[in-house]
Amino acid sequence: MKASFAANGRNLALLAGSAGVLFAALQMSGTPPVDVLTGLAKGSMGSPAAWSGTLRETAPLLLAGVAVMLGLRAGLFNIGVEGQLLVGALTCAVTAIHLPGAGGLLAGLVTGALGGALWAAPAGLIKAYRGGHEVITTIMLNSIAALFTASLVTKVFRDPTQQSVTTSYIAQRMPMATPGAVEINAALVAGLLAALWLAWWLRRTVAGYELMAVGENPVAAEFAGIDRRVVQVKAMLMSGALAGLAGALQVAAVEHRYYDGFSPGYGFDALGVALLAGAHPLALVPSALLFGVLEKGGSAIQILGVPKGIVGVVLGVVIVVSAAFRTRKGGGDHG
Amino acid sequence: MATCHAMGRLQWRGPPLHQLTPMPVELQSPPSVRMTDISKSFGAFKALDNVSLTAHAGTLHAIVGENGAGKTTLMRALYGALSPESGSIELGGKAQHFGSSRSAIQAGVGMMSQHPALIPDLNCLENLILGAEGGPFLKLGAVRARAEELASRLGFRFDWNLPAGRLSPAAAQRLEVLKLLWRGARIMILDEPTAMLSPADGEALFGTFRRLAEEGATVLFVTHHLGDVTRYCEEVTVLRAGRLIGAMPVAQTSAFELAEMIVGRKLEPPAAYYPTLGPPLLEISGLNAIGTPLRDAELTLREGELLGVIGVDGNGQRELLRAILGLQPQVTGNLRFAGRGLQHIPTGKRVQMGIRVIPEDRLAEGVVEDWNLEWNSVLGLHRLPQMVHGNLVRLGARSRAAQEIVERFGVKYSSLSMPVRSLSGGNQQRLVAGRALYPGAKLLLAFQPARGLDLLATREVYEGIRSACAAGAAAIVVGFDLDELLANCDRLMVMSRGVLRSPPPGVERNPIVIGQMMVEAG
Amino acid sequence: MGEIGLLLGSTLALSAPLMLAALGGYTSERSGVINIALEGMMITSCCATALIGLATGSAWLGVAGGLTSAVLLSMLHWLLTQNYRMNPIISGMGINAVALGGTNYMSQRLITVDTPDKIPVLPESLYYVLAVSLPVLVAIYAATTRGGLWLKAAGGDPRKARLAGLRPDRIRLGGLFATGVFSGLSGVLIVTHASRYVDGMTDGRGYIALAALILGGWKPVRAAVACLAFGFFSALQIQFQGTNLFGAQLPSEVWSSFPFVATVFALALLSGQSSAPPGLGKL
Repeated sequence: MKASFAANGRNLALLAGSAGVLFAALQMSGTPPVDVLTGLAKGSMGSPAAWSGTLRETAPLLLAGVAVMLGLRAGLFNIGVEGQLLVGALTCAVTAIHLPGAGGLLAGLVTGALGGALWAAPAGLIKAYRGGHEVITTIMLNSIAALFTASLVTKVFRDPTQQSVTTSYIAQRMPMATPGAVEINAALVAGLLAALWLAWWLRRTVAGYELMAVGENPVAAEFAGIDRRVVQVKAMLMSGALAGLAGALQVAAVEHRYYDGFSPGYGFDALGVALLAGAHPLALVPSALLFGVLEKGGSAIQILGVPKGIVGVVLGVVIVVSAAFRTRKGGGDHG
Repeated sequence: MATCHAMGRLQWRGPPLHQLTPMPVELQSPPSVRMTDISKSFGAFKALDNVSLTAHAGTLHAIVGENGAGKTTLMRALYGALSPESGSIELGGKAQHFGSSRSAIQAGVGMMSQHPALIPDLNCLENLILGAEGGPFLKLGAVRARAEELASRLGFRFDWNLPAGRLSPAAAQRLEVLKLLWRGARIMILDEPTAMLSPADGEALFGTFRRLAEEGATVLFVTHHLGDVTRYCEEVTVLRAGRLIGAMPVAQTSAFELAEMIVGRKLEPPAAYYPTLGPPLLEISGLNAIGTPLRDAELTLREGELLGVIGVDGNGQRELLRAILGLQPQVTGNLRFAGRGLQHIPTGKRVQMGIRVIPEDRLAEGVVEDWNLEWNSVLGLHRLPQMVHGNLVRLGARSRAAQEIVERFGVKYSSLSMPVRSLSGGNQQRLVAGRALYPGAKLLLAFQPARGLDLLATREVYEGIRSACAAGAAAIVVGFDLDELLANCDRLMVMSRGVLRSPPPGVERNPIVIGQMMVEAG
Repeated sequence: MGEIGLLLGSTLALSAPLMLAALGGYTSERSGVINIALEGMMITSCCATALIGLATGSAWLGVAGGLTSAVLLSMLHWLLTQNYRMNPIISGMGINAVALGGTNYMSQRLITVDTPDKIPVLPESLYYVLAVSLPVLVAIYAATTRGGLWLKAAGGDPRKARLAGLRPDRIRLGGLFATGVFSGLSGVLIVTHASRYVDGMTDGRGYIALAALILGGWKPVRAAVACLAFGFFSALQIQFQGTNLFGAQLPSEVWSSFPFVATVFALALLSGQSSAPPGLGKL
């Protein structure tokens, strides 16, 4: 069809333009592009230690990516994953410090998820019942979360015995597998399970079916008797809970404490993970892995003098190009 | 005279004849509009077939016909919105070729569509001048003065700062008239101008057009309402199925004749069907939706009944069905289904109770374009007991149901996992109809159920609706094709200006009577 | 007395970048294009101004570079949303990601130990004058010119605007061009005020400007007033931090979070975001 020919031409132009930009950026880096790419590959996948680091980065991206994708399938842009993640992380740390044993750790995970859900609730309610775009509310909530978690760590939950600003260390430890000296922590396992769960839940439950209907065609969904508003609020709550859990698991399985700045923007990267993965929850796994490789590799090539920012550029390009390829002809409503 | 002849057969119920004839027509000057042998096709569909029209300055000229007769297409050709394949257009004796609306506007042609094209959040003054500002700087003082002057000439008053979205329908139409004058229109085309107005507002609007005609304008009306035609217009042109049926001074014809010409004499009264009726299933009284054409609907539907609701589009049919489904906001009045009041029951529950719908716009309201056939087949049925096990989907039951639904009316498909987008419109309609008639339907609300279907498929769909009714359900079918509804429904009601009326006893299925009720000739 | 003068002065200094950025948000959104990429445009302008200023030693060239870079990004946003018909949120997020990463990359590559510390700048007061006068001028433009009417028509209902003979995509091109200029000015001011470049120095102010636009009901002067309010509370926080205000010591985060909390409440209370241009997001 003529329309798709023009569309393909446009998309190829975009792809070519992006490749050009990236190539120019790499040329500018002063280091030969080949070295940059090999440095990136070695730093992220070249040894068991490298793999461990990559998988460590991948875990929160995967779980948060599931959170974002669930929202996207319901037609909601949950940009607030970062804030929900922070709230969940701090809640988990505080709970696990004060409640002993495995039960305390478990309670920490639960309260972390609840905290994330709570933090997503205003956005969901405002969107469903007031029509206020969830992008704005979640961005606002992100900033509030960042400020308040930082303040709480500094003023209320700070461990005075530590030099840096942080909560106390959690005593409990989560199990970790180490096949071939590569560390696979509980957060990664949780992320994989979550992706599998989402794939199953969307296809096999009535609630999942209704969520997808609302996301694809809210009008037809209402004609079919689905309560659009309830579905939207529940979707935001679930998305927030998953994001909160991602933060909680980072604390419980990786950092073992909460400190300001432990997240280099996992929530924002998770948006890219979900957008790249598209519609299938299982595609989140390779997508998150790609981002994990870029994160870990990006840290590695900093030694080569390549600033970390190149990773952000790559991510932005990936987001835009994948969206261009995915846009249906006719565009339609962007609201 | 035709009118005397008509009086012998039927009773004249209009205003006294001597009040019917407005100002005399000037026949000496060249016609202000002469369209000759205009033809236009859209693909295989011939919208206009050698249609001619002649109109004179200082007159109100009506163009009448059913939905799809070609009235709007003819006017769009005059307005430059489309180019005819053959034929010519002369304005005031001079030949014209309009490449776009811009040239038509410059030649003094203005068109006002049925739905006001006002931008709601701009104020009245801004809407008035949008597109005809007269320069990069808006001299608001001068603009306002000229607007006031124009408005007062017609007896209008506007709060120029009021956002246009807050105008009443009548006021919005008045602003649209002012827009035409602002742009210097001498030939005004009005598409169903009184469709959304109350009788009083309509009369006031026609008074305005009368004044404009007295000043020498040519006013062309596209309309269904023969009452307006006989009360206010001097000349009338009748179209049917893209062809010119006749053109004459209004004084030489009657509303009944016009109705006959519009509807055509091809109808044979279809065989009546007398179903066994059960207890009342749906009871509606005083149903009203604020801000919409739905005024005061009342009906009682009994089990087993197939009710057809005929009427010109935009008289509240849409809102009626939505209100029964529970999707129409701000509804007041009484709505009872199977003895229960529906007012506070959410749509999901109503669907579970057996209310099924074939929606008006299958793409926007009926299916999810990107989904496959299986998922679309169960949209709305997905919570039925046989489809679920707790919160889990019974995949086997679902795909069996989808199979059944898709095959019910013979959807042509290759596999259940193909996207519904790839089906033709007719096949999509068959899917939606099959879904609505899946076992368990208690009340079927159908908006043009046979839209896009050929005669055979139409018959099958109606047979499906009939058997559901025979099993104890009831159906309301909203449509615009009188033939189709007469052939398939037990009884008909006419929806006009937000109110439902039944034809008088003895002529419940008389197409002429019903046609008149639709266009308010009586 | 001197304290009040100080307070007013720092209010203006803190509000001005917001006011310029919010104006950039206005010209985009009022014509119907959702724009969350103000942050990206601002930081790019900061970086370009600094780099070009340092490289050429000319303040004017630096400013020109800053404005151009922001305009390039806004034109990209126009292209992606109106031509590629992409969801404007995705486009905005992508632009922000590329901008933040790219500025980090460029600044770390090009600003070495050798480069001079002081960036050549124009006097700050120039920008303050612009920040205060431009919203008023834009408001007058919107109310009294054909271009302003067209802007509002494109954002009110692009379909009906087309029926009236307008070209919404062309109108939006102009709107987004202005967005680039205004957000570019905001970035230039930020760098001018700091007289050096710091990675990520916009610090989320692009989003605050967006919040101010929403709070101001998508009207230029009201948005500017909202920016002044935000600036005022920031100035209060800086000045009275640590001292007892109203008998209690409010943590600084309460002050800092004020703009965001206010926006959330505004969105919750404005029923259905009724003051948003109805054509926002529509093609």
